[in-house]
Amino acid sequence: MKIFEKILGGNTLYYPGCLTKFVAKELKEKYEKILRKIGIDFIELSELEKCCGSPALKAGYLEDFKKLAEENLKIFKDHSVKKIITNCPACAMTFKIEYSKALGKEWNIEVLHISQVLEKAIKEGKIKKKEIKEKITFHDPCHLGRGMGIFEEPREIIKSQGYEISEMELSRNESFCCGGGGGVKSNEPELANKIAKDRIEQAKKTGAKILCTNCPLCYLHLKENAKEIEVKELIELFEDL
Amino acid sequence: MKGEFLSEKTKAVLWKVVLEYREKRKMALLRNNLEYENFREELYQIKKKAISEIESLKKKAISALKENGINVFEAKDVKEAREIIEKLAEGKTKIIKSKSNVFNEIEEEGFLTDKELTETDLGDFICQIMGEKESHPVLPAIHLTPEEIAKKIKEKFNVDLESKPEKIANFVRNLLREKISQSEIGISGANAITSDGKILILENEGNISLVSKWPQTHIIVSGFEKIVENLESALKIVKASAIWGTGQDFPVYVSIISGPSKTADIQNQVVIGAQGAREVNLILIDNGRTKLLKEGFEELLYCINCGACLNFCPVFHQIGRNYGSKYLGSKGIIFAGFSESFKKAVDSNCFSCTSCMACYQNCPVKINLPELMKKLRGYLEKENLQTGVNKEMIENIREFGNPFGKTEEGKIPKRLYCC
Repeated sequence: MKIFEKILGGNTLYYPGCLTKFVAKELKEKYEKILRKIGIDFIELSELEKCCGSPALKAGYLEDFKKLAEENLKIFKDHSVKKIITNCPACAMTFKIEYSKALGKEWNIEVLHISQVLEKAIKEGKIKKKEIKEKITFHDPCHLGRGMGIFEEPREIIKSQGYEISEMELSRNESFCCGGGGGVKSNEPELANKIAKDRIEQAKKTGAKILCTNCPLCYLHLKENAKEIEVKELIELFEDL
Repeated sequence: MKGEFLSEKTKAVLWKVVLEYREKRKMALLRNNLEYENFREELYQIKKKAISEIESLKKKAISALKENGINVFEAKDVKEAREIIEKLAEGKTKIIKSKSNVFNEIEEEGFLTDKELTETDLGDFICQIMGEKESHPVLPAIHLTPEEIAKKIKEKFNVDLESKPEKIANFVRNLLREKISQSEIGISGANAITSDGKILILENEGNISLVSKWPQTHIIVSGFEKIVENLESALKIVKASAIWGTGQDFPVYVSIISGPSKTADIQNQVVIGAQGAREVNLILIDNGRTKLLKEGFEELLYCINCGACLNFCPVFHQIGRNYGSKYLGSKGIIFAGFSESFKKAVDSNCFSCTSCMACYQNCPVKINLPELMKKLRGYLEKENLQTGVNKEMIENIREFGNPFGKTEEGKIPKRLYCC
C-alpha cells in the first residue's frame, strides 16, 4: 500500500509532536487508533521525528528554527510525505504558516490539524453521532483558533460525542489564553498558573462539569490548575477508543 | 518576572470594565455601520501607506505647519525633547497638561520640577495626587475606587466628598478651572497630523480644548508616525481611536489646530493671538522610531494608542502596568527595546508574552505584535539576554531534537518548554 501511495501521491504522516509523544502519551495512542478507525493510512517517524521548532521560534532562536525547518523538510521528503496530520495546534501552525515563511516555495506539504480530519470523517459518516447527554465547555487553543481560524471543527466533534457546548464568555476569536504558551509555562510558571486558574474560573461559570480542549499544552496546563472541573482532551471524549 | 501581581480586587474591576467595553465597541461599530474586519483593513492600509512614505510626508507636513505659523522642532531623543521644552518654558512657571503618551516617554525625575505642572485629565489628575502611575493608557485610574480617591482628596485638600464619581469630577472641575485660568503654558499630545499641516487632538473631557487654547503657549509633543496624508485619513483614525479606545462612536471633542489663534477684525489687519494660543509649538520626537523602521518593526509605528491590545491580554490582566515600560503591553516592551535598551525590554517582562494573539486580534490597525515579539526575542538572543530556561530548551533541541532533552521510558519531563 505504501509503495503504491508513494507512486500515486506520497505518504500521510501522523506527527504527534514532542509534547504528545513524551508527555501526554495517552493521547497519542488514542489519536492513532481513531485515525486507523476512520481508514486513514498513515506513517509515523517515531525515533526520527524532530521538534517542529515552535519553542525555538517563540523564544527568538530564529537561526535554530530555520535549521530545524530545513532538516524537517529533508526528513519529510525522504519519507515521501505529502500530507501532515498533527493533533498539536502549535506544530500545525508552525508547519502551515511558519514553514511557508521560512522555506518559501520549497514547502509544499499539506498540513491538517487532526480536528479537521475528524470533522470530515463525521460528515462522511465514518464517526457515528451520539445522543446529547451532557453539558461541556470548550477552550479554543490560541494557535488553533486565532492562529489558524479553526473554530467550528472541534465543536462539531464534541457534539458528535454526545455533548452540548456551553460557551464561555470569552471564546472563539475572543478566547482567553490558558497561560502556557510562548514559553511562559517554563519561564514564568507562577504567572502561567495564575492565568490558567482564571481561565478555569471562566469555564466553571458556564455550569459545565467538563472543560474540553484540543491542544496538548492547554490540556496539561489547564488540568494541572483545575479545581472542581474536569479537564479533558478532545480525544478523551471518544469512549470507545 | 519583574514586579507584583495585581490584587484580586483590581482584576475584578478590570474585567468588569473590559467586558462592558467589548459590548460598547460592538455597538459603536454597528452604529457607525462599520464591519470589524473591513474597517481594520482600511485603517491598516492608511497607516501602512503613510509609514511607507513617512520621510516625504514628514517633510511636507513640517513645511506646511511652518507656513501655518506653527513652530516645529525635531528631537532625536528624549534629552533633546526635554531641552526644547525647557527652553520654551523659560521664565514661565504655570503649566497645565493633558494626556500625552509621548510626554510620558520624555518624562524623568527632575524634569520641569521648578515649574508647577498640573494634570488636567481627570484620571491622570487622580494618579498625580495619589502619587501613582497610570494603569492603562486610556483608563489611567482604572485600579482606584471612588472611596480611595475621596479619601485622598480629604487628606490633600481637606474637603469632605461623597465617594461618587460625579462628586469627584465636580470637585476636580472647580479646582482645575482655577489652575487653568492662571496657566502660562499648555502641553498636550496629538492623535494625528496631516501632511498639509493640521494637528488633530481628540478628547471627551474638554480639558484638552482648554490646555490648547487658554494659555499663551501651546506645546504639542508627538511622534512623527502620527503623520498621515490628509484630513480624511486623520478623521478615520480619530474615529477608530474612539471606537477601540473606549467603545464610543466618536470622541466628544476633536480639535483641529492649523496655527496660532488670530484675528483680522480690526481693519483687516492680522493680529496673532486672539482668544486661543498665541504661540503653537510642535515637537516631533524620534526616540528609537527610525531604528524601528530600519530594523523591520515599522508596524509598531502604526499604533494609534487606543490600548485595545491590553484589554484581552492574559498577562496584562495579571500584572497590569508591570507588563511594559513607558508604553504598556507588548507594544511597550518592543518600543522599550529600541528607545531605551534591550535590557529594558527584558526587565519589562518580554518573556511573559504567551504569543496568544489576542492583542493582534484586537488591534484596529492590525499590528502583528506576537510576530514582532518573536523578532525582538531574536535580538535578545544575539545580545545574550536569553533566559536560563530558554537556553536549556535550545540546548536540548540541538542535542536531542526535542525541547525536553534525554527522555527516559516511563518518565515525564520535568519542565514543559513546549509551544
